[in-house]
Amino acid sequence: MEKEQYKQLEQNVTPNPPYFKNVAKAFLVGGLICTIGQAVSLFYMTFFDFTEATVGNPTVATMIFFAMILTGFGLYKKIGQFAGAGSAVPVTGFGNAVISAAIEHRSEGLVLGVGGNLFKLAGSVVLFGVVSAFFIALIKFILVTLGVVSW
Amino acid sequence: MKLLGMMLPLLVSLSLLSGCGEKEKFIVYGSPENEKEVEAILKEQDFVDKTTVIQYDNSMLVAVQIKQWDKWKKAKLEKKLQKKFDEKYPNKDVFVSADYKIFYEANKIKKEQVEDNKLKDKIKKLKKLAKEET
Amino acid sequence: MVIVFQSKPSLIAGGVVAGPLEKRSIFSQHFDATYDDERWQMKTNEQGHRKMVEEACEFAMKKAGVKNKDIDYFMGGDLVNQMTPTNFAARDLDIPFIGLFSACATSISSVIVASLLTEVGASNLALAGASSQHNAVERQFRYPINYGSQKPQTAQWTVTAAGYALVGKHHEEYPSIEAATIGKSVDYGMDDPFHMGAAMAPAAFQTIQSHLEQRNQKIYHYDLILTGDLGQLGIKLLKGMFVESGIKSEELKPLRDAGAEFYGQDETFQSGASGAGCSAAVFFSYVIQQMRAGTYKRVLLVATGALLSPLSFQQGETIPCTAHAIEITMK
Repeated sequence: MEKEQYKQLEQNVTPNPPYFKNVAKAFLVGGLICTIGQAVSLFYMTFFDFTEATVGNPTVATMIFFAMILTGFGLYKKIGQFAGAGSAVPVTGFGNAVISAAIEHRSEGLVLGVGGNLFKLAGSVVLFGVVSAFFIALIKFILVTLGVVSW
Repeated sequence: MKLLGMMLPLLVSLSLLSGCGEKEKFIVYGSPENEKEVEAILKEQDFVDKTTVIQYDNSMLVAVQIKQWDKWKKAKLEKKLQKKFDEKYPNKDVFVSADYKIFYEANKIKKEQVEDNKLKDKIKKLKKLAKEET
Repeated sequence: MVIVFQSKPSLIAGGVVAGPLEKRSIFSQHFDATYDDERWQMKTNEQGHRKMVEEACEFAMKKAGVKNKDIDYFMGGDLVNQMTPTNFAARDLDIPFIGLFSACATSISSVIVASLLTEVGASNLALAGASSQHNAVERQFRYPINYGSQKPQTAQWTVTAAGYALVGKHHEEYPSIEAATIGKSVDYGMDDPFHMGAAMAPAAFQTIQSHLEQRNQKIYHYDLILTGDLGQLGIKLLKGMFVESGIKSEELKPLRDAGAEFYGQDETFQSGASGAGCSAAVFFSYVIQQMRAGTYKRVLLVATGALLSPLSFQQGETIPCTAHAIEITMK
């Protein structure tokens, strides 16, 4: 059988990913995670001295704490299998990427194992986040200098 | 079905939350001398959803909540409002904030009927808080 | 080229142990033991993997009533870097050893080598088999275990299991190896590590076809042709290839796949099971037992392996695959 012919067969047999279902599930779970995040920040604003500007830090820390608990008990991968991008895109997904790598490499010691591999998955998120932030800021700076928009 | 079971209590609590917000949209606390005037200024702005104004001595704390879709421009609208009040009351020390925390605390002050001597400290603290950055 | 064994070495005994999730396998009642702890009370996944290999070998030896000093050779492999679990198990077993790597096809390539050693008279008893441990393999080939990524429907689940068989001189009461085919490395341009069944099916097809041709046999000569870990999509593709080559689909009844059946219809495992331990566990428990019970008289075992590394697919290489086959008969 020729390669081309086989590719044809392969495409006939392989089911298409259920895009619509995946998007709907990601929307629901992602929205749920963000709603919980909103509730956490309201909690911090109501009971502690945080404003809308400063509440981000403790909220993110708390959400990552939740992600840590779920990852440690092996539940986050189950949520991830169901939700896809819905649980990967919020900050809990970033936390999960870091924490799962830390758990995984604990057996190779603290320095070379956990330390060396902590950002195995999340490293590129950090890198490209910083790089894109730099370029966005640069574009805005140019636009402001030209007088198109204001800060 | 499992998902629905998770979502249901959430939806119910959300609808309850929005239910209590409908009472009063404009509240002034403190000396009522220019209540009408302030209300007029605020009502002019269609992006303002709810406000609580606290007046004492020669200062004024204007805590506003901006309508949901206008929140994108929150910082700009806050500045715009501040400018308006500064022009209208050049002799007064006006502080405008669109922050939820300030609004929440202002309502608390009103609800608890804080006495004048304590009020000053409280407002001072709120102003400091509002200027804090991440 | 097909290898025909004049002396017909026999599979004297098989030892299979598996991890906790494998209790859900439809083959689990055929395994010698399943454990609740996938690390076998060891500190690391890799140490647990080693322990698992040792226990499978112990079971095989115990059934045959022999000790490790009675074994002449130990042939085996796994999927971890440099095959340390099997290498370290060989250290503790203290038997002359060659580590073999054909990815998931190691379960059969090891038996072929052991049979050749028996054929030339170098070995009276040899241990041959393969193993895989889910956590140790996944962390190497894909993501950390607890990372919440969404696996597509085409993905397969690496099983935690070790299967080893004792290959000895011909005995009528045991299944005997009549012939073997060593497969080529076949590449049909598939490059998705989450769709291994599609990459491996052509290799299985070529090996089965060349074995049948050179042995002058047809599919109906076999009671069972069992592939290792093509998964539910892979076996469909393999059958599709046979249909396109002109064989009627009714004739394909003997064709089954261990990976597709391993976890039953459980959707948690997507397209089914994979890993060197999958084929080894089914071949050296279920198949040997069924043959000794007389259910099957002539069986072709085809283990398929995807010869990729985490580096190769990141560098954009396609996935070459191989398949090795042995023909087993029972009087």
